[in-house]
Amino acid sequence: MQRLKAFPKAKLTAVLEMMIQKATVWVPSMIAGVSRFAPYRPGTDIQMGTNTAISPKEALFPSTEKIYKFSAYGIDGDFEPVDPSVGPQILFGLRSCDMQGILCLDDVFLTRGYVDDFYGSKREATTLITLGCVTPGADCFCASMGVNPAEHDASDAQMYDLGDAYGIIARSVKGEALVKDLMAAGLLSDTDKSQGPTADFVLKVDSEGITEKLQQMFDHPLWDELSRKCLNCGTCAYLCPTCHCFDIAEKKRNQHCGVKIKCWDTCMFSEYALMAGGHNPRPSKKERVRQRFMHKLRYFPERYGKLQCTGCGRCIAKCPVNLEITDVIKLAGEAKSDG
Amino acid sequence: MNQITKEMRDLARELLASGEVKGLIGWTKGSRWYLTPPLFITRPEEAEQLYFDQFAVNNLTGLLLDYRYGDDKIALFVKGCDSRGIVRLLQDHQIKREKVLVIGVPCMGMSDKKAVTDPRQPVELPLLDKCLECRYPNPVIADRLIGGALVSGEPSEPKGLTASEAAKRGVGSKQADRFAQVKAIEAMSADEKYAFWQAQHEKCLRCYACRNICPACNCRECIFESDKKGWVNKSATPTDNAFFAVTRAMHVAGRCVECGECERVCPMDIPIMALNRKVIQDINELFGESDAGTDLDGKMPLGLFKNDDPEEFM
Ligand code: SF4
Ligand code: SF4
Ligand code: SF4
Ligand code: SF4
Repeated sequence: MQRLKAFPKAKLTAVLEMMIQKATVWVPSMIAGVSRFAPYRPGTDIQMGTNTAISPKEALFPSTEKIYKFSAYGIDGDFEPVDPSVGPQILFGLRSCDMQGILCLDDVFLTRGYVDDFYGSKREATTLITLGCVTPGADCFCASMGVNPAEHDASDAQMYDLGDAYGIIARSVKGEALVKDLMAAGLLSDTDKSQGPTADFVLKVDSEGITEKLQQMFDHPLWDELSRKCLNCGTCAYLCPTCHCFDIAEKKRNQHCGVKIKCWDTCMFSEYALMAGGHNPRPSKKERVRQRFMHKLRYFPERYGKLQCTGCGRCIAKCPVNLEITDVIKLAGEAKSDG
Repeated sequence: MNQITKEMRDLARELLASGEVKGLIGWTKGSRWYLTPPLFITRPEEAEQLYFDQFAVNNLTGLLLDYRYGDDKIALFVKGCDSRGIVRLLQDHQIKREKVLVIGVPCMGMSDKKAVTDPRQPVELPLLDKCLECRYPNPVIADRLIGGALVSGEPSEPKGLTASEAAKRGVGSKQADRFAQVKAIEAMSADEKYAFWQAQHEKCLRCYACRNICPACNCRECIFESDKKGWVNKSATPTDNAFFAVTRAMHVAGRCVECGECERVCPMDIPIMALNRKVIQDINELFGESDAGTDLDGKMPLGLFKNDDPEEFM
C-alpha cells in the first residue's frame, strides 16, 4: 500500500501560497468577528481548528447573484446575460458535513433534467478538499445523520488531522493534479502516522426511520407545539449548508433599466409562500416550521434518497430560541403517528 | 429545583387549571446546561417543564404578537428588562391589557453563553454586558409576582429572592458604560466610521432575526417585506444591508426598550445595540432624558409634538 503523504501544519501558509498560483482558495477564516470560508490572501486569519459559523455554500451559491441586465423603452426591450462562471477555485478544509451538504446541493441544482448554470459552472470550476474531524464542536451531530466525520469519499482530496501535520490523499483527477503540484514543490513527505479516532459527540440523536415516521405525521399536533417559539427568521436556513431556496428580485437603476438578481430566501419567512392575489398556503408558523423539517427529513429523502440535514449543527448553534433539529427528530420519533 | 422555578410551576398550573389564561409563555431547560429557551404551554400538566435560571435570556414579549388578533388571554413571565416590552406593546396598541397576564420574576443577571468552553461541564460564567449595564432589574409592570419580585417603574437595585446574588454577580455595576461604545465610535474619523460599519454591514445575512425578536418591531406589514414598493429587496449587498440596518434602527427610535435581544440573536455578531444606543443618546440630548417602555402613561418623545421641539434640520 502507498504511504500517506503529509505536510507539517507549520507549512500551511506555504501550501496555500502555492495553491493560489493556480486558483482562488477558499479557506476557513475569521472575518470581522465571524468564521466563514473566504478567498485566501497573505495575512488571512485562518481558522482550521473548528468548523466555520457560516457554511461554505457561499462559494457555490452566493447569497446574492446577478442573473441578467435588462432595459425597456416603450415596446423596445433588451436583455443582456450575466456570465455566471468563476475561475478555478479550491474549497480547502471542508468538513464531512459540508461535503455532504454539497452533495445535496448537487442533487437540487444539477439533476432531474435541469442544470442550473449559476451553480453548475461554479461547481465545475471547484476542487473540494475535505478535512477529517477529530474533535467535534458542541453542536455537531453528523455521525447521527449517517455522515462519517473522519473522512468523506466524495471530495477530490482528503486531508487528515495528524496532530502536528495534515495528511493528504487524492480521490479524483483534480485531486491528483493538486497533490502532484504539492509534491513537485517539495511540500509533501511520507508519514506513518494516521488520524486518531473522532472524540465522542455531545449531541446525538437516533434518526433511523425518521423519513417513514414523518410520512405519518403531516397533521400531527407536534408542529403546533414546536412552532410556537419559532421567530420565523432566516437564521437556520441561511447558515445551513443544504438549504437552497432563492428568490428572484430586481434592482432598477431607473424607470427603464436594471438588473435581475437571485438571492437567498427561506420557507421560514411569512411571505415565502405568498401568492399573487394574496393567498398564503402556509399562513402561520406551524405550516412553515413543518415545511422546514419535513423537507429536510422526509421530502428530500423521498426525492433524492438522502437526508437533507448533515448534522453540521449550525442552526442549533445560532437559533435564537433553540428550536433544535435534534429535538425535532427525537420528538417525532417518540410521537404517536396520526395515521 | 430552585425556588423561582417552583413558584413558576405552581402559578402556571393554577392559571391554566382555572382557565384564567389559555396559554402561558415561560422558559424551559434546554439540551445543554447553558440553554434555557422559551416554552409555550396550554395544559396544567405541562407546567412541570418550566424552568428559570441565569440562562433564561430570551425576552418573551415579542411572542405575544402572534396572539394580538386573538381573543385568548395569555400569561407570560418577565424579567425587569423584558417587562419594558410589555409597556411597548401596550403603548403601540398591539395587545389589549386585559388579554395579557404579566408575571414578574426577580432576576439574578443572565450569563453569557459565548463564554462556554466545555459543553459538558457547567461552570460559573460572566454576565452579559446588558446585565452589567442594567438599570431596570425589577419588572416595571406586572399583574402577579413570584420569587419576591417587586414592581418598580424607576431605575432601582435588584429586589426579591435573587437580590444578593444579582448584586454579587455585578448586575447594574457598569451602568456608566451604557453609551461607551457609542462614544468610542463617535470618536472615530468619518473614514474610520465608514470602514467600521461597512465591515459590519457586509456580514448581514438579512435573516431578520433582529427584527423578528423585537417587541418594538410590531408593524403589521414590514417595509422589508413589501418588495413591490421597490425601496429595498432581499439582496444582501453591503448597501442594501446598511439601508436595512439604519432603517430598522430609525423605525424603533424612541420606542426601543433596550432589551438587547436584537444584538443577542444576530448570527453575525453585528453590534446592533450601538446603533440603537446612538439614537437613544440623541433623543435624550434633544428631548430630555427618558427610558422607553417604563411608564405606560408617559408620553413618547417622538410620539408627541410640542411647539418648542428642536427642529434644526428644517
Ligand atoms: S427555527 Fe430558529 S433560526 Fe429557524 S426560523 Fe425559527 S427561530 Fe429562526
Ligand atoms: S439543518 Fe441544521 S444541522 Fe442540519 S445541515 Fe442544516 S444547519 Fe446543519
Ligand atoms: S439578525 Fe443580524 S444578520 Fe440577521 S438581519 Fe439582523 S443584523 Fe442582519
Ligand atoms: S431594537 Fe433591540 S433592544 Fe430595542 S426593543 Fe428591539 S430587540 Fe430590544
